[in-house]
Amino acid sequence: MRIFLTLLAILAPSMAFAANNVTLSSLVFVEKAVPDGAGRKHIVLEEPKSVMPGDRLVFILNYRNAGRLPASDFVVTNPLPAAVVYQGGAESAQVSIDGGRNWGTLPALRVLEPDGRWRSARAEDVTHLRWVLKQAIPAGAFGKLSFRGVVR
Amino acid sequence: MSNIIKILAVASGVTAGVLGATPALAAGTAAGATITNTATLNYQVGGVAQTAINASNNITVDRKITLTVAEVGSATTSVAPGSSAQVTSFTVTNSSNDTIDLGLTAAQLSGGTAAHGGTDNFDLTGLGMFVDTNGNGSYDAGTDQAVTYLDEIAADASRTVFIVGNVPLTSANGDVAGVTLVAQARSGSGAGSQGAVITETSGANTAAMDTVFADAAGPASGDGARDGKASDDDDYTVSAPALTVTKQSRVVSDPVNGSTNPKLIPGAVVEYCIVVQNAAGSASANSVTISDPLPAQTSFVTASSFLNGTYTGSTPTGTCNLDGTAGGSVAAGTLSGTLGTIAAGTTRTLYFQVTIN
Repeated sequence: MRIFLTLLAILAPSMAFAANNVTLSSLVFVEKAVPDGAGRKHIVLEEPKSVMPGDRLVFILNYRNAGRLPASDFVVTNPLPAAVVYQGGAESAQVSIDGGRNWGTLPALRVLEPDGRWRSARAEDVTHLRWVLKQAIPAGAFGKLSFRGVVR
Repeated sequence: MSNIIKILAVASGVTAGVLGATPALAAGTAAGATITNTATLNYQVGGVAQTAINASNNITVDRKITLTVAEVGSATTSVAPGSSAQVTSFTVTNSSNDTIDLGLTAAQLSGGTAAHGGTDNFDLTGLGMFVDTNGNGSYDAGTDQAVTYLDEIAADASRTVFIVGNVPLTSANGDVAGVTLVAQARSGSGAGSQGAVITETSGANTAAMDTVFADAAGPASGDGARDGKASDDDDYTVSAPALTVTKQSRVVSDPVNGSTNPKLIPGAVVEYCIVVQNAAGSASANSVTISDPLPAQTSFVTASSFLNGTYTGSTPTGTCNLDGTAGGSVAAGTLSGTLGTIAAGTTRTLYFQVTIN
């Protein structure tokens, strides 16, 4: 599985946007349990060379303000791929369970069960993640957002 | 095969019903599917909204080959000597995330311990494999089709496969014949023909979909873990009567001494007792027919034969009890009679008297 980084801006800063030089890149890694030879297993993040149903993925979004002015009202939206179930790891994010129409925290969002009862949303209900950064990103600043998923 | 389903995440407007559903499938996302993750960044500079920035990446889901063969039930198939079309059943399941063909091989043990603990000591004849065409879980001759492979089995689908064979007439009670069924993952190259054996992608990861074996080792010889094969074993156990026949005689009386120390002189009455025993642990014997040519020097005593009597003690020194029911007939110098069902561990007799000429 080759990773196609369509906008790996961090590694290619020359691909800057003409106006403001704010960049975003998306990376994905596979969590693998690697035996350490002493009977225990270490969890390591690997390039997604081998991806199977049930594998745990870690998505990482890197952003950087390479421009000369602060960037405000900074919002990163990430729809979950259909083949991936959200597994948490993005506690600072808002989530949506209805394709991005309504946002909130998991306990605050309600799901109507087939039997007519309402329950709190669970991680597997999540369709979209959204990070709303309250503070402006100063010129030259960078940061990282991440979440976990599992391949259906 | 070539069942490549592209799952492309749409940046927006995806319904919750699709994304929120967690499939109950074990196989999961189809092999070759592309998982695309796209994030969108919106921001402002100096209070002016800027062009949104997208970042995405793709990963391709590999093909995970997992298959199982499992005996249906967990008991031996009890068979009678000489019986035909005796069946053992297996469930063959494709748990891979791809549609594949499953090549089938039925084999017989050659000695060794069979599936249910006995020692394999005979082979069935005319062994064949049949798929449960009508899906009713039992073998139907003429309906369920003979197969050497299962065609185009979708992810998480399974089939019932029967091994069918004939039991030699020479087999004895307690004989065991072990069989194994091996399924091997083959390319689902199109309906109607068996695809090539699937091989694991060796060496480094490739840009295309890779194949990884994830099957467990099975009991059949040559079925190791992660070899694209699965197997299970079962066995047939012969259940037959184990009959022994003993004949004993006693002088009842003679014309001179009466019943006191009678001697074998002409005119003496002699009783015969034919004892049929069925050993414990064997099958019941039905319609046991006894034929006894009478010695030429003797004459049958009319109405002296009794069937299904009991026997006290052990042959040949025990006592033949006169508690049977009248029966048996003489034709052309031969006495014949049919005993009832002789269950395992029981004894029945045919009793009759003759006089010495």
